[in-house]
Amino acid sequence: MPSPAPGRTSWSRICLLLVLFLPLAACGAGAKPAQPSPEPPASAEQPVEPVVVPLETATKIRRVYGRLPDVRRKRVRHQIEKVVDKWWEASYVGGTYPRDDFRAAFPGFTSGSEKRAREDKDLLTNQVAGPLIESVTPKHRSVSLDILAVDGHARSVTARFVLRFRTTGAREGITVVRGRLLLTRRNGAWRIFGYDVAKGNRS
Amino acid sequence: MSRWRRGGRLVRMAVLGGVLAVTGLMIPDAAVRPTEVSLVKIRHAEGVSLGDDVVWILGVGSDARPGENMVRARGDALQLVGINTRTGAATAIGVPRDAWVSIPGHGREKINAALYFAGPRGMAGAIRNLIGIEPDYVVVTRFPFFEDMIDEIGGITVANPRRFADPNLKREGFRTGRIHLGGYDALAFSRIRKGLAGGDFDRSANQQRTLRGIQARVRSQADRPGFIERGVMSVLAHTSTNASPGELFELAQAIAQVRPDRITTCVVRGRIGYVGAASVVFPDVAQARRWGNAARSDATLRHC
Repeated sequence: MPSPAPGRTSWSRICLLLVLFLPLAACGAGAKPAQPSPEPPASAEQPVEPVVVPLETATKIRRVYGRLPDVRRKRVRHQIEKVVDKWWEASYVGGTYPRDDFRAAFPGFTSGSEKRAREDKDLLTNQVAGPLIESVTPKHRSVSLDILAVDGHARSVTARFVLRFRTTGAREGITVVRGRLLLTRRNGAWRIFGYDVAKGNRS
Repeated sequence: MSRWRRGGRLVRMAVLGGVLAVTGLMIPDAAVRPTEVSLVKIRHAEGVSLGDDVVWILGVGSDARPGENMVRARGDALQLVGINTRTGAATAIGVPRDAWVSIPGHGREKINAALYFAGPRGMAGAIRNLIGIEPDYVVVTRFPFFEDMIDEIGGITVANPRRFADPNLKREGFRTGRIHLGGYDALAFSRIRKGLAGGDFDRSANQQRTLRGIQARVRSQADRPGFIERGVMSVLAHTSTNASPGELFELAQAIAQVRPDRITTCVVRGRIGYVGAASVVFPDVAQARRWGNAARSDATLRHC
């Protein structure tokens, strides 16, 4: 889950203030300059409760190699989305920031790949910057799946993903994590046995 | 500010915007203000884990002709390949097909007969008797599939140390240097023995050059959507293996992450002699065992 104040970046705070106190001021991209208005709208007289809508992951199947019935395709899509979401929550966008506890950052990884991932923790988690971050707000979450199916069952999945989130605090900016997760089924569940991840940010 | 300086600033903004777009970092919603943008290096990490750090695969090229059972024919190309998923190292130990060895349950024979007598499991046993390493997986393939596979991945590039030719398989021969091979040529490059001074030993070394070429090609294409999946489907359709589809996918990903600069290869040496009328290689078993012991835990051979 996003941290409690994720939507309150400095920019959105300014927007919120403008919405509350300067009714016709615009805050978005392409906004027109404020025009004088003879009558303030009703919203100016009532407190506005900001509504934070959680950003859901958009997962699609890019291609299935082999035959896989629709019902199983759908099931695989949900299962993989869940695995990826759990990792993102545990590693980047979940928890309470400032944060320094990333011990449970790799749910869904095999024990071997978790060991490898811990060596790449600066890329596969927010661990290095976690104590300097006040909030994390997801801005984009998408996953695209290539599924290998044999005998009507999904045997492996390549999950290409993009996660973008905004951070506030001493490490303010936008971070983009993108790459591939490689999954096969082990002990009845999808497990991440490999990864190819790039991470970049700008302040 | 002069017009020229403003123009220069616009160019710089455009270049920076391009860099940001290319590296996947989005331009902020409201405006682009170069003074507020700093690009941090994009860092990258990759890793694959298959449980044990090192996995051993025995690759067997069967000489089965059309209509023959691929796993009940002679195994003419024999390469024991180790992959270290932790370090990205890989090694191949080649075995001459005429090596005179002990085949479990069948006494002493040329090692290529192990497939005929005892199938993939028997071949794995013969390799274990010689090198001391029991392969985790055995993959048996035949000539036509090998050709098709090379064509399907777009051909390979190999480093050929000397010119050689064969009047039947490649009359014009292969020139020295880095050469690109399609399916037929890759097969010929791996099969020719007559034109090589070192005979079967040199042929095994050429097979290892082919494996390097395949690995390099797989590595360069692995992030192309569907490349690995199509490869696994192809392997499933045309080979005999004890690996499940999921395991093949994992192995293919492990192969893709092998670092070319960490590949080492050796061919088991031996003395050429006769058993009856048959020309055989009496392998240097002590040397083969030494290499097996050296590479077992890290898939690396310091020297042959």
